[in-house]
Amino acid sequence: MALRARQKIRAPRRGLTVTKTDDFETNWKDLSSSLKKIHTKDASNLSFEQLYRNSYNIVLMMRGEELYEQITLLEREWLEEEVQKRVTAAISPSLLLATHVDVQDQANERREAGERFLAVLKEAWEDHQLCMGMITDVLMYMDRVMSTDHRKPSIYVVVMALFRDHVLRSPIRPDTQTTVYDVLESTVLFMIQLERSGHIIDRALIRHCIYMLEGLYETITEEESSKLYLTVFEPAFLEASRKFYQAEGRRLLETGDAATFCKSATERLSEETERCIDTLSSLTEAKIKDVLDNELIKNNIAEVVKLEGTGARNMLDNDRIDNLRSVYVLSARVDSKKTPLTTAVQRRIVEMGKEINASAIAAAAPSSAGKKPEAGEKKPSEKEKPVNQQTVAAIKWVDDILGLKQKFDNIWQNAFHGDQVMQSAITSSFSEFINLSQGAADSRSSEYLSLFFDENLKKGIKGKTDSEVDTLLDNGITLLRYIKDKDMFEAYYKKHLSRRLLMKRSVSMDAERQMISKMKMEVGNQFTQRLEAMFKDMTISEDLTSSYKEHVRQSSDPDQKRVELDINVLTSTMWPMEIMSNVRSEDVQLSCIFPKEIESVKQSFEQFYLGKHNGRKLSWQASMGTADIRATFQRSNGKTQRHELNVSTYAMIILLLFNDIPAGESLTYTEIQAQTRIPDHDLIRNLQSLAVAPKTRVLKKDPMSKDVKPTDKFFFNHDFQSPFMKVRIGVVSGSANKVENQDQRKETEKKMSEERGASIEAAIVRIMKQRKTLIHSQLMNEVLTQLSARFVPDVNMIKKRIESLIDREYLERVEEDPPTYGYVA
Amino acid sequence: MSASKLAQSEYVTLVSGDGFEFVIPRSTACVSGTIRRMLEPSSRFSEAVTGRCVLENISGIVLEKVCEYFCYNEKNKNQTYVPDMDIPPELCLELLMAADYLDT
Repeated sequence: MALRARQKIRAPRRGLTVTKTDDFETNWKDLSSSLKKIHTKDASNLSFEQLYRNSYNIVLMMRGEELYEQITLLEREWLEEEVQKRVTAAISPSLLLATHVDVQDQANERREAGERFLAVLKEAWEDHQLCMGMITDVLMYMDRVMSTDHRKPSIYVVVMALFRDHVLRSPIRPDTQTTVYDVLESTVLFMIQLERSGHIIDRALIRHCIYMLEGLYETITEEESSKLYLTVFEPAFLEASRKFYQAEGRRLLETGDAATFCKSATERLSEETERCIDTLSSLTEAKIKDVLDNELIKNNIAEVVKLEGTGARNMLDNDRIDNLRSVYVLSARVDSKKTPLTTAVQRRIVEMGKEINASAIAAAAPSSAGKKPEAGEKKPSEKEKPVNQQTVAAIKWVDDILGLKQKFDNIWQNAFHGDQVMQSAITSSFSEFINLSQGAADSRSSEYLSLFFDENLKKGIKGKTDSEVDTLLDNGITLLRYIKDKDMFEAYYKKHLSRRLLMKRSVSMDAERQMISKMKMEVGNQFTQRLEAMFKDMTISEDLTSSYKEHVRQSSDPDQKRVELDINVLTSTMWPMEIMSNVRSEDVQLSCIFPKEIESVKQSFEQFYLGKHNGRKLSWQASMGTADIRATFQRSNGKTQRHELNVSTYAMIILLLFNDIPAGESLTYTEIQAQTRIPDHDLIRNLQSLAVAPKTRVLKKDPMSKDVKPTDKFFFNHDFQSPFMKVRIGVVSGSANKVENQDQRKETEKKMSEERGASIEAAIVRIMKQRKTLIHSQLMNEVLTQLSARFVPDVNMIKKRIESLIDREYLERVEEDPPTYGYVA
Repeated sequence: MSASKLAQSEYVTLVSGDGFEFVIPRSTACVSGTIRRMLEPSSRFSEAVTGRCVLENISGIVLEKVCEYFCYNEKNKNQTYVPDMDIPPELCLELLMAADYLDT
């Protein structure tokens, strides 16, 4: 490089370029005539190079600025003289009429005129654009110098602005204010109006005019936001649309059909989208949708949902999934909470729920009246009993709710696209009506639901596949989710479960276990603890029974007539003991006297059991047991007939009494009671089932009446007839799980509130032990959150419990304002 | 008709002020902004129609170098390590002027 640098750099040779180019005038004359030729589309004879060289030379002569001015002047003249005239000439008078011309032929005329005008304008614009493109190319050298040295906008921008000012914004006639642009705007809006009312218009033509507006700017710097389209046309378009859709909304509401409204609204939406893409600019899409959302949907959706006869209610009732879906989609556009729709759905759910509640009450009320054979239970021993309508009603209630739930799940899934907000709304509505208190009594939902499970686990699942059982249980669990007072449910479930387990009424232990594990998943460990313990007791008892049998076989007792014993040893804290022992008689109940055969077995088992487990106490619950006995009936004609009787333990004791008395002798009620010490209540029921129930009359009663009186005499009925070898004698109203009567309910509620009290106290102490001191309101909050999984505690109850804890010196008042408690260790 | 054919033809002819003709690929010539605009098919200037550009104020010797540069540019575009191009010092000024003129 160093070597080369020394070489001489010669001045450029200019010999070739000096000819006839020094003069501005000559150059300009050449140039301007050529530019005119370009305008008249006669450019193919022109040499770009020549023109370019002309402008190049002028700029080199330092007269670029002059050239710039000249060009501007030339263009302005051209636009004013030629283009503007051509465009205004195309404006026919019909275009200038008032914009709201509705008469059909006038509209047609106007439309044709409009199309002509638009076509001319479009052509003018496109010509201008093309020519200016060429001219700018030719003048590129000038542009470069001018924009860098003189900070002037490109000549292209300048001539575009000239077009804006001298064509678009020129008055159409010298004596009016109306500009070409005004005509353009009203024409385009008119076309769109036509299209909205169903006519077909030349979209491409409008699109081109819109291109023009998009290509022109308010300012010389050409910011994106200063496009004429955005500054002038779009606002006008949106305003026109707003008016149109306000009217449209009113019109659609007046037709009074929600489905039509939604359909048209949806169509309008897609129409506008299409219009933005095909006719206007995609920039407008979001804005016009806003207009639609606001004017057409938001202002009207509440009305639509409420529309009598066709609104959301009708759609829900008739499962109009499609319509609901469009309502949902429209609502979702304007409001993420979809308030009107949500409230409508919620109200409907609660209404339907209340109907179900009411019909359950209605069905339960005439419990003594109805005798519906078809709904009767299948057990032969129970057939003659009037169907327990309350139970049936309870089960129907659950089924109805499940049906309702199914329906709304389906709607939610298909119409509401599985929307979260809707789901929680639906859920809360369900739990609202399920927990709704019914009249004076507290909600029976817990009991009903438990009965539903009971019914299904007893017979409902017979002959069903695993998956069917699974869905059935799942459905039940769904309802459980809605129930607030879960402890109540637990109590009922425990009670019903214990009956199922002890009386072996459960169809499938697998299903029972499945149920428990489902509940565990749903409500938590604590909830199912006791239920599981019950199962455990059952299993242990089975083992115990078999090992006891083993023990008996091994022990050398040769007694052949030994009574076989199946035993269930139950942990008393886990089982609902009140169903076994008669809690109402508070006085000390002497246990009943077993016959000697049984007594010996009992003692032998006690020995065996206590030998295994030290320090335990067995109390015998005869009321829960059953016995199989073989009875021989001496017919009067000398024949004998044998039957195997499956009876309750008490009934067995009673029947065994008749073994010891001579045939034909009788026992009075009082005698029976004295010899057995069976509690009155149970004794009456058992005697009723043995002597009164028509198909299982093993005893004869004197006098024959329904009620059992202390003076009644009982005989062994040797003429007992039954088509079956095995006869099952149920105890009147005792063994089946059914809806409680008022007294029982009060009982349960009392127990429940005691239990809740204990839970609340436990929670308070737990919290206070951790926190040491706590303000009253905070303590309240914590207690409520801790217990909400099981039940909704009563605030007053919590207050009482706090008082009582203070009285018992577990807590103390630390401060009065704000009330604060402290934990006393 | 023939114009459109030529307009699409792959080669264009550059003619210097003193009559030298250089036939180079169109894409190569379009490195120059001026020539590109000159050949713009939509503008219908005579250059675009004939595919022949007469550059009155560039001499053959300079135009040769310019064409060399066009090819050099085409060859080395989108590459990072590019060999230097050999520029005779005596042509420097004229080349600069031509570059200014041709918007290269």
